Amino acid sequence: MTTLVKPAPRRMRRRAYSGLGATLLLLATACGGGDGAGDDGDGPIKVGSILDETGPLNIYGTAMADATDLAIKDINENGGVLGRQLELVSYDAQSDNAKYTQYANQAAQRDQVAVLMGGITSASREAIRPVAARSETLYFYNEQYEGGVCDKNTFNTGVVPSQQLAALIPYAVENFGKNLYVIAADYNYGQISASWVEKYAEEAGGSVVESEFIPLESSDFGSVINSLQAAKPDVVVSLLVGGNHIAFYRQFASAGLDQSMKIVSPTFGLGNEQVVLSDEAVGITGAFPYFQEIESEPNTQFLDMWHTEYGDDYPYVTDSAATVWNGWHLWAEAVNAAGSLDRDAVIEELESGVSFDGPSGTVTLDGPSHHVVQNIAIGEANGQKGFEVLSTEESVPPAFEQEVCDLVSEPDTNEQFLP
Amino acid sequence: MTGAQTMQRQSRGRRLADRLPREVAYFIAIALGALVLSQVIPDFRAYEWSLWAVYGILALSFTFVWGHAGIFSFGQAAFFGIGAYAYGVAGINLSPTTGETLSALLIGAAVAAAAAGLLGYFIFYGNVGDVYVAIITLAVTLVLLTFMSSTADPKYRVGDAPLGGYNGMAGIPPIMYGSGVALDTAEMLIFCVAAAAGIALSVRILLRRPFGRILAGVRENELRTQLLGYDVRRYKLLAFSLAGAIAGFAGGLYAAWGMFINPSVFSLQQAAMVAIWVLVGGKDSLLGAFAGVAIVQGLSSALGGSGGSWTPIVLGVVLIGVVLLLPKGVVPSIADAVSRVMRRKKPQQVPTTVLEAGQEQRSDIDLEGMLTARTGRVAAQSIRGENLTKRFGGVHALNGVDIDVPDGTVRALIGPNGAGKSTCFNLLVGRYAPTSGRVYLGDDDITKLRSDTRARRGLGIKMQVPSYYHDLSVDENMWLASYAAVPNVKGADEQAARALRWIGMQERAALPASALSHGEHQWLEIGMVVAGSPSVMLLDEPTAGMSRDETHHTVAMINAVSRYSTVVVVEHDMEFLRDLDAPVTMFHQGLVFASGSIEELRQDERVLDTYLGRGVSADVAG
Amino acid sequence: MQLDELINLAISLLTTVSILVIISIGLAVIFGMMGVINLAHGEFLMLGAFFTLSGHRAGLNIWVAMVVAALGVGVVGLVVERLLIQFLYGRLAATMLATWGLSLILVQAVVLIYGPATQGIPTPLGSTRVGDYSVSQYNMVLIAVAVALLGLVYVVFTRTRYGTTARAATQLPTMAAAVGINAKVTNMFTFAFGAVLAGAAGALLAPVAGVVPGMGQAYVGRAFMTVVVGGPGVLTGTASSATLLGTVDSVVSNATTSFLGVAALLVVAIVLLRVLPTGISGRTGRQL
Repeated sequence: MTTLVKPAPRRMRRRAYSGLGATLLLLATACGGGDGAGDDGDGPIKVGSILDETGPLNIYGTAMADATDLAIKDINENGGVLGRQLELVSYDAQSDNAKYTQYANQAAQRDQVAVLMGGITSASREAIRPVAARSETLYFYNEQYEGGVCDKNTFNTGVVPSQQLAALIPYAVENFGKNLYVIAADYNYGQISASWVEKYAEEAGGSVVESEFIPLESSDFGSVINSLQAAKPDVVVSLLVGGNHIAFYRQFASAGLDQSMKIVSPTFGLGNEQVVLSDEAVGITGAFPYFQEIESEPNTQFLDMWHTEYGDDYPYVTDSAATVWNGWHLWAEAVNAAGSLDRDAVIEELESGVSFDGPSGTVTLDGPSHHVVQNIAIGEANGQKGFEVLSTEESVPPAFEQEVCDLVSEPDTNEQFLP
Repeated sequence: MTGAQTMQRQSRGRRLADRLPREVAYFIAIALGALVLSQVIPDFRAYEWSLWAVYGILALSFTFVWGHAGIFSFGQAAFFGIGAYAYGVAGINLSPTTGETLSALLIGAAVAAAAAGLLGYFIFYGNVGDVYVAIITLAVTLVLLTFMSSTADPKYRVGDAPLGGYNGMAGIPPIMYGSGVALDTAEMLIFCVAAAAGIALSVRILLRRPFGRILAGVRENELRTQLLGYDVRRYKLLAFSLAGAIAGFAGGLYAAWGMFINPSVFSLQQAAMVAIWVLVGGKDSLLGAFAGVAIVQGLSSALGGSGGSWTPIVLGVVLIGVVLLLPKGVVPSIADAVSRVMRRKKPQQVPTTVLEAGQEQRSDIDLEGMLTARTGRVAAQSIRGENLTKRFGGVHALNGVDIDVPDGTVRALIGPNGAGKSTCFNLLVGRYAPTSGRVYLGDDDITKLRSDTRARRGLGIKMQVPSYYHDLSVDENMWLASYAAVPNVKGADEQAARALRWIGMQERAALPASALSHGEHQWLEIGMVVAGSPSVMLLDEPTAGMSRDETHHTVAMINAVSRYSTVVVVEHDMEFLRDLDAPVTMFHQGLVFASGSIEELRQDERVLDTYLGRGVSADVAG
Repeated sequence: MQLDELINLAISLLTTVSILVIISIGLAVIFGMMGVINLAHGEFLMLGAFFTLSGHRAGLNIWVAMVVAALGVGVVGLVVERLLIQFLYGRLAATMLATWGLSLILVQAVVLIYGPATQGIPTPLGSTRVGDYSVSQYNMVLIAVAVALLGLVYVVFTRTRYGTTARAATQLPTMAAAVGINAKVTNMFTFAFGAVLAGAAGALLAPVAGVVPGMGQAYVGRAFMTVVVGGPGVLTGTASSATLLGTVDSVVSNATTSFLGVAALLVVAIVLLRVLPTGISGRTGRQL
């Protein structure tokens, strides 16, 4: 079903017409600038990043862009890659998906970046993937998502439900009660994750009494609060996303429901919800590879660098920021180990199981699935704009992705598997 | 003289035909330009410019529907999205067997056109107000956003194509001609530019055709167009559907370009963006659509590439700047400036007065031919109102009026202001539905017919308030009236030429109608009624504001016409009424107060008390 | 159905209706009295929320901060009218384009000043128990304020000199000019008053919603829907359409899901516009 896309060799035809277009060449170079530096030589290596730094998605994008800048700086200060410095070409997609397609192309064709990282929403990842594949540019997607992407050219360093929910849901059933009520953002992430919650709840001996899906632009949770009061679950599983949905936690607390039920959430914190809510958030439990409070040597160094660069009053360093950091370092390790920027060589090296000691602990690439094996910590919002880390499970594999996706033996697979 | 005029008309018609190849030449030039360009610019640039061409087509659809048909619709983004999804579904399902996606492009356009047709039927046949058209189309766009965003479940699929919810539909095939080989970046640029040029030039041709001219009429003065006998709703619906098809085609191309589509095409942002491109470029300029896209997208892409967080601010300032400083848009403003520099506007030389020109030529004009152009025979009909009553809220504008004007006769209506004369006209032509009572044209009960249907049956009206096409030329005004009676280009050209000569305005043909004097407007409107080849003419105050000579001349014109058509005329001017020498019906307080010849009415005590006044002989107009 | 459940549902319904009234009344004033479609309405609302946030952080009492924020947005409205809108009266599309540009600027300006992260103020007051249910007291405040805002608009437009002249200018523009009403000044105040109401909406929502620079977009769609369905009557239109749409949304959401609630709201709005093309208050003409 996938279509073969084989562009004819361009260079030859271009020569044939070049006489015709001598005058237009002037125009084009005036508007366009020349082709970017190639990937050979001793100069800096160009690498690309596309994130939403403006527009509605910048709640996530700004922190991820900060992490990108810092990661490049860190790599460069430690000798760069292959002994050469990295030069970051970054694009602001302005929360517009067409811009992802366009900038991905620009980064690949004009800048000829050695690797392209970026994309926040799954929609933006899906916009980048075909472009990156066509231009044979290695692509890293560094953000938590609903899981299942299986594509030779793409590496996903974000946490997936089979890591996050597999830890969080049994914890909730065991500690808070068996009846779960799922409130999810009404889009792919929410719906797919809701079905995972159901699966893990049953495995843990609990059950989902009801699942409700909320439009992304909705911020009036009156009817949800009513249904919760009628259903009286032990645990509310929140799969809510974005600035509007923060209203839920607030309306939940102000109706006094925080006295009678617990909220667990795999998304709470990515948009700094615990900073905004402080008191109203106490006791909300989440699971992430990274919390700012994790105590480890790499994390202390990471936070030191971060605060030196961006100031001590930076609200909270999120899991998304740490994931971006891990993505860049994993790539740098792989290139250094491969000794080459050649895409296939780097992919081979990445698939061999590159590993990096990041702020969240050791992160290891799982070759066949192109996802990462990493620690998962359970944390509880502490009312002081942060979390208390309750427990950590080490080296949690992306179980579902490992089960369905094997890019080493079937390199031509290119789809997103759903549970 | 007649022969020369006709020849001029004919040669104009021939020039119209001659212009077709010119668009073809433009098309070839643009396509060749794209071919050359695609070989010399870097791929990423070709990729970006392909998108601009696609967006340009989308913007063009909005220029067409708003700038040329006068419909402010936010729906273009919706039809774009519908076309994109339809292309995706068709492409994914069909291309593995056919190896091409051109059919999918056409399916995208067709599905979008059907959606636009459905929505347009709802809007235009429901007589929704202008502002509400904008809001309803926006609401529909947002409904689609909500709907498409919640189709994440794999059960939402059409054949092999899952709709994909918020994340969008992936795996959409690019443009392929049939061998299963995709176009490369350079070929895609050529394809997109050629498609854009083809569509823009087709629209350009269409706008010169009768359909386009009628659309201009609808845009400039909907009521007048309706009363000339055009079904305005139908033209709006057609224009809306066509714009939907163009937007849908652009959508398909967009999906092929990115090989991906997601619901954000239905967002408020995207819907507004279309309007922004067009406002920046210039709302009635076809070139402006593409210029607007290049300016806005170029700016935002350059700013986004530099990674600055000032992008929205710069864009916002540019938009506000355009609105305040270049209100017509960039392309028309530049065009104006260039034409100001290139040539000073020569004052139009109009040697004779309309009055002289009219008198000179009236004798040799085939008035009969003009007034029988619609049916081919003299077809004066009677017009009859039975117990006509009209209430506006609590006000009784008309209170059970019976009026019967036999075919081929002239009737004058008089009465003080507010007596119900104009309301009576409005009921006869169908602008308002009567509260009770019936209207007959000839033997037919036309009470339930729409005003354009009545006009097509031969009912013509000149209203009391000026109603013509301000920004169209005198010639175009007349042509629109003529084409309503003679629906072929050649016949309408001839009819318009005759009518222009009859009112003595052939030398003013090229002037914009708004440049005429007050009296000239009256003649233009009378001419337009006559060009419509009516069987009944209703003239509301045709000589208001005219000098005595002009009034005499007008009476002569009306008398000449009355040989072929029934005439009902509302007038206050006693001089006029005496000249006209026709039976008079006097209205007072929504009722027929008195009837008879003007002399009889002057003897009537009640008439003198209520209207004419004692001892006053003429000109009691109020 | 138990009594407590019924009361709870009623409060929930009234809250939804009240929120609709609050978010759309400012837009209704500007659209109903001036015929200007203000696409920056959502951003005025967002400014109200951020001003409240700043006031609260500066140590003001939350209620005081809200009032100050609303007035602050009024000042912004005044400036916008003087610098921009006054040149665009009668140019519908141009006003829409300019206010759209303005909204881009306002959002990004707030991002540059406050940062992109979500912010917020804790919801004041606590909760009250109604039988088995507990209800946020702040919801009661929202209901009361919605009624109070409608009252305020009524008083301003019927009991003040400005209000009478504004209505006169809307209903009979030429007549108003003839008797010496200065349309310029009137329009300026109307726009500013609409901005105050939009600011008040943002201030009131700040404690129950996430305060983000892009928050205006979440409300502006529904506000437009309410105003359009309501028609040109500022009070009658807004109140009736908010009641209708809010009830539909609330009842359907409670009975089924939020998605169907939103869908039902849109369907009702479109069907209603098909039946009453100029909105609920369209028949009664341009009255309050």
